[in-house]
Amino acid sequence: MAERRKYLKIITASFSLILLFAFLMGWFLKTPDGRKYPDREPVYFWHMWTSGWKKVVEGICDDFNRSQDEYEVIPLSIPANVADSKFLLATAGGDPPDCMAQWNQVIPQFAESRLILPLDEFMSPREYQFFLDHAFPIAQKIAYFEGRHYCMPLALDVRACYYRLDHLREEGLLPDSAPAQISNRAEYQEMLKYMPRSMEQLVTWGWQLHRFDEKGRLARLGFIPQWFRMIAPLFGGGFYNWENGELTLNTPENLRALEYITEKNKVIGFDRLLRFRSSLTGKHGADWPFAVGKRSITIDGQWRVSQLEKYAPDLPYMTAPLPPPREGGKEEAGWVHGNFMIVPVGSKNPQGAWAFIKFWTGFDDPEHAAVHYTKAGWLPPLPQIAQSGVFTRYVENHPQFETFINLLDSPNMEPTPPVPFQLLLYDMIKRADESATRGNMTPRQALENLEEGVNNELRRRKKAVQDEK
Amino acid sequence: MKHESIKGYLFISPWLIGFLIFVLIPFAASIYLACTEYDIVSPPVWVGSENYRRLFFDDPLFWKSLGVTLKYALIAVPLGTFVGVGLALLLNLNVRGIRFYRTAFYLPSIVPMVATCAVFSWVLNPQIGLMNSMLRLIGIEGPAWLSSEPWAFYSLVLMSLWSVGGSMVIYLAGLKNIPISLYEAAVVDGANAWQRTVHITLPMLTPVIFFNVIMGTINAFQYFAQAFIMTQGGPEDSTSFYALYLFKRSWRYLDMGYASAMAWILFVIVMTITVLLFLTHKKWVHYGG
Repeated sequence: MAERRKYLKIITASFSLILLFAFLMGWFLKTPDGRKYPDREPVYFWHMWTSGWKKVVEGICDDFNRSQDEYEVIPLSIPANVADSKFLLATAGGDPPDCMAQWNQVIPQFAESRLILPLDEFMSPREYQFFLDHAFPIAQKIAYFEGRHYCMPLALDVRACYYRLDHLREEGLLPDSAPAQISNRAEYQEMLKYMPRSMEQLVTWGWQLHRFDEKGRLARLGFIPQWFRMIAPLFGGGFYNWENGELTLNTPENLRALEYITEKNKVIGFDRLLRFRSSLTGKHGADWPFAVGKRSITIDGQWRVSQLEKYAPDLPYMTAPLPPPREGGKEEAGWVHGNFMIVPVGSKNPQGAWAFIKFWTGFDDPEHAAVHYTKAGWLPPLPQIAQSGVFTRYVENHPQFETFINLLDSPNMEPTPPVPFQLLLYDMIKRADESATRGNMTPRQALENLEEGVNNELRRRKKAVQDEK
Repeated sequence: MKHESIKGYLFISPWLIGFLIFVLIPFAASIYLACTEYDIVSPPVWVGSENYRRLFFDDPLFWKSLGVTLKYALIAVPLGTFVGVGLALLLNLNVRGIRFYRTAFYLPSIVPMVATCAVFSWVLNPQIGLMNSMLRLIGIEGPAWLSSEPWAFYSLVLMSLWSVGGSMVIYLAGLKNIPISLYEAAVVDGANAWQRTVHITLPMLTPVIFFNVIMGTINAFQYFAQAFIMTQGGPEDSTSFYALYLFKRSWRYLDMGYASAMAWILFVIVMTITVLLFLTHKKWVHYGG
């Protein structure tokens, strides 16, 4: 027994020593940093893309690194739910990345807190002027806060309607002569003629396309208007007056839009919709409810075109802008968001960051940039890329993409208002939408609540500024 | 003795330094920050009691989140205690395969929270989830658990029972600690199983119940991860727990001063409840001899 105990002790001690040795070796050995070009200036780049998108982004970084011999971009993918806090702490602690790709609505908030540099602080005057003269208006609006521009949009996200042509045909909503599948621009142009001209017509189509099971549960959703922030501009409303810089919340147009959404949701039944939506667990790629036939008409972004090409290449579908109501509406209106590059205050290499941004956004070489944009199915911030040969060929092969290109240029597309409490405002607008749609408040009450909440926030901010003075 | 003390302090110094830097100093700093407007990056601006005034008079979501959290504490803590004690009593029986049962009931409490949330999102799916499928078998059409009011809140309460194994193990340890002589004496006096449970087991278990109730209450007031992952505070703020709202205020809206004031209110509430529990404990907690 004693012999066995002694033996065990020796084994335990040896094992502990090996562990300690391994720990110390790890401690003293230099950790390889994996840099391919150690002689170049590093540009630390953070982003939130994962899986397939991460590969695309890393491809752009590799391409940039190969394209010149001064900088090396080192990308790091940060989990989206902690990205903002990590960025804030790193910047506050004086060790930020050189640039970061963002998609949360943080520009005015970060700009007001002096967390990010305005574009004119790292671009040459000529380059900044080029941005002002050429970037799509919506790209400029997303970057805007109190007279300056604070980010460079890398890719814009625009939403439109996706139609399942097989469902429309099955319901007799298309003439027999209409193309069965869109494979070129001529067919796309022809099909545009048959798409609904008004919101009312679209909703009527949607109702015809709904399918219910024997218990009255939704088995397929035709179309239902949703997303107050998207629908409000179509009804002539919206949330910001760009001329006088004031918020426009409780307006007759917005009320009309919210009432319309609420009324249409009520007809189909909120509980029924809720249950149906809960069952639609797939959100990305092949299991997208539209692709699997659970939805006939849906509102979604341009990235779906490339996803459908990959996961459902034979799916007969069409894209078209959301139509406005018959009266008092605006054509090609809606809500826009995007991915944009920010350069933090304290960036050690803003010029390297700018060189990378320029490369990505095609400031010097739109043709080359278009290769990346078309590979990912992104919308560019500059018309030069959209008009490049590469992009034109892409749109010829993917005619449904044209809808989004056209929407980019529309003056009626709006981002979330550029106020310093943008995320709070966004949440408040969503809350008003939810309260009205669920029937817990009337649309009028929901908008009054929204306005009151925002006015409280504005009063508080005004008072804080006065107190500071 | 002095030499011994120095050695003791030296041994605990890593923890002491960590506590000082990462707990005590931020704790003290937050007293000051609660009276400022602060966004992490810019210097804090003194606003006095304005944050507290806003919280109490201008912010309906503050009251809503406080109400949700209080309701959760009032329902989930007693429910968890009841189920935990019940399970411990069952798992204290001397039956075949008891070790397997104990392990099976304890295992869920060590499953990572994110994985648990992912599983429950599926289980509670109104159309294709296990819960409603089972209810359908007995002719009931279950609700949209996580996306309708008030079911989202009760879904989270229900989910809290999933990790009851953690407290169950402590109750089980408490049960093992009850002197066997008490039961022997009771049997000699003719006490039946129910009488032994009510008059011996439960009173002797009250110190452990007291401990678990205090810990459970503190945890209930800090409830965050499940609501953050599964409901994001919705629908209609019905699962907007206090800690979740505090997190949104600080990291989403960069309102750190306001969030600090919220944290201090939370601290005062938790302290008050803990003190109240301690004040009452002499009346119902028995420490044996």
